[in-house]
Amino acid sequence: MRKLTLLSALALGSAAAAQGQNLSGTVTVWSWDVAAKALQSTVPGFNKKYPNVKVNVVDLGNQNVYDRGLAGCAAGGADLPDVYSIENNEAEVFWARFPDCFTDLNTLGADRLVQNFPAFKWTELTANGRRYAMPWDSGPVVMFYRRDLYQQAGVNPATINTWDDFIAAGRKMNAKFGNGVKMATISNGQDDEWFRMLANQNGCFYFDNEARQVTVARPGCVAALNTIKRLYDANVVATGDWGGQITNIKAGKTAGAMFGAWYEGTVRTNAPDQRGKWGVFPMPASRVGGVRAANLGGSALAIPSASRNKAAAYAFLQHALGTTDGQVTMLKSQGLVPSLLAATRDPYAAQPQAYWGNQRIWQTVLNTLGDVPQARGTQYFQDARQVMIVVQSDFVKGRYKTAQEALNDAARKISSATGLPVAR
Amino acid sequence: MTTVPAPRRSRRRVPSAPYLFILPYLLIFATFWAWPIVSSFLMSFRDSRLGATAPFGFANWSRLVGDEFFLTALRNTLLILVLQVPIMLTLATALAVALNSRLLKLRGLFRFAFFAPLVVGTVAYSAVFRLLFNSDFGMVNRGLTGLGLGPVDWLNQPGPAMAVIILAMTWRWTGYNAIILLAGLQGISEEVYEAAAIDGATPWQQFWKITLPLLRPTLLFCVVLSIIGTLQLFTEPALITNSGPGNATMTLGTYLYQQGFRSFNFGYASAIAYTVAALAAIFSAIQLRLFGRES
Repeated sequence: MRKLTLLSALALGSAAAAQGQNLSGTVTVWSWDVAAKALQSTVPGFNKKYPNVKVNVVDLGNQNVYDRGLAGCAAGGADLPDVYSIENNEAEVFWARFPDCFTDLNTLGADRLVQNFPAFKWTELTANGRRYAMPWDSGPVVMFYRRDLYQQAGVNPATINTWDDFIAAGRKMNAKFGNGVKMATISNGQDDEWFRMLANQNGCFYFDNEARQVTVARPGCVAALNTIKRLYDANVVATGDWGGQITNIKAGKTAGAMFGAWYEGTVRTNAPDQRGKWGVFPMPASRVGGVRAANLGGSALAIPSASRNKAAAYAFLQHALGTTDGQVTMLKSQGLVPSLLAATRDPYAAQPQAYWGNQRIWQTVLNTLGDVPQARGTQYFQDARQVMIVVQSDFVKGRYKTAQEALNDAARKISSATGLPVAR
Repeated sequence: MTTVPAPRRSRRRVPSAPYLFILPYLLIFATFWAWPIVSSFLMSFRDSRLGATAPFGFANWSRLVGDEFFLTALRNTLLILVLQVPIMLTLATALAVALNSRLLKLRGLFRFAFFAPLVVGTVAYSAVFRLLFNSDFGMVNRGLTGLGLGPVDWLNQPGPAMAVIILAMTWRWTGYNAIILLAGLQGISEEVYEAAAIDGATPWQQFWKITLPLLRPTLLFCVVLSIIGTLQLFTEPALITNSGPGNATMTLGTYLYQQGFRSFNFGYASAIAYTVAALAAIFSAIQLRLFGRES
């Protein structure tokens, strides 16, 4: 029996190898920071299958990839790489402005992989019946928390099921540490991530999934904005931008953080001395029994139409993103959370993580993937975000009477910036 | 009757060779300078949000009027213009007079020292200002706390954030203006001062009655340059405060960038760009009219 599987494995291996020999040339990949390092880590595995393809991962930095992609597309595909990294939220701007700049991956066989990824990851990557990019990592939202601080304040994370519970825990924290330790840091005036995470959890977003209407004034978003105000009014959260959040974590001024799970690497590498003190639990729900999942961030890989080596580029995409091997390699090396559903069942995801107090955090994270409501950045994402940053900060300051009033104003502003009607 | 054919004849004699020689330059000028300017103006009448830029009429222009973000950016830019430019030019004039003084030793060193900020890369100096004004660990707040004053949340509060932008710009550009004004001062003849001194004018009187009036053309030049520079202000709000908090330090420059390169809405960005250009022209014209005539 064992010999048989070995033989068949060999046969399969040599068949794959024979196929792999056919592809050759160089595949240039543009990416950024940890994402580039993660892609680089999949190259040895890829080269086992395709020894004649040389993969050249170029780390341009996030902003440069976006800007040079724009310039390249505007110039009709000049100077673009074979594989292009793109953030989901920003993706639709490319499809809308430059519909012919990227290859329809269905023509290379991507339609066969559709079922392998959760539906919400495809929403922003398909337009006009074309599949422009393949899902890469995702940002399932979880609450990161300090075990030791929770314990000292007498808070059991297992009892935090709703935002009300979270606020009650924050009050205990305030009582214990004399207001010196907050439950988390919210970006206010610099970004609106918390609003987006909470709105997504409630099945609401700036726009509907058809990208035809502004839906930001709908009840789910109202609930989200109200929750943020309640957190502030209860004095259980601090304010800070990206750097401020990290500073608070390092200084022990916060007992937690809420972000896409890719924040795991950020906590781990910025506060190595807090090893073993951290844990993870699903984000609190809006009401008892409500959804405890959302998504923030995540990227995809596309193949520019100008690529001269599409077959090899697609083979790389398929290996890095479409196989458990590729996705788990990136999870291990840089903490990028796979969106490939099969990777959830990989043994590595079930392993306890030492930094996180030997908790099996990836299981907690990946288990939320199926519950994430769909949302769509649309090509107007940046306009809407800019409006929401200001409206959220004004609402927290008390410049509006109710969250509904604030979001009606936001909807009006987003509508005038985008030309899309406000949903009734 | 007799004079008419003469110029005609001479015009005929004009050889085409010089024009052929400058033709490459003219072509490059037309392609890379003139055409983009015309093209971006045409683009402001198009809807660049659709794949193929569709005709759009005046929609981009009419959006400007009702766009609260644009109005905020405009208000912020004008606020900086009204506050920062006078502060900076007053300081620069004082500095220039001091640097021009015969009493000052090591003049070269001081001149270099005040000009030096301009040599520092904008990105580097913006990063330094971000660090200096960091709420938790910045040197400025350390200093304030040391003096018994409370720390200020510089970059997360609208007023203080604007103050940081104004401080940063003043730090960088005062020396530059001072050097230009210094050149203006050195153009004023010594004899005028000697005559004034003989007549018993105090240094203060000399400054108001001689230095300032004679320096006016140079000052005007600095004012116009500063106005144009401020209307195009981008680096400091983009790198120090990221236009924030909210949009408290958003300027026309950062809003243009946001529309053009974050939202890919080039049509609207072009309309903003032309508004900035028009404002610069109007303000400069007003300045020249008010203060430029007599000189």
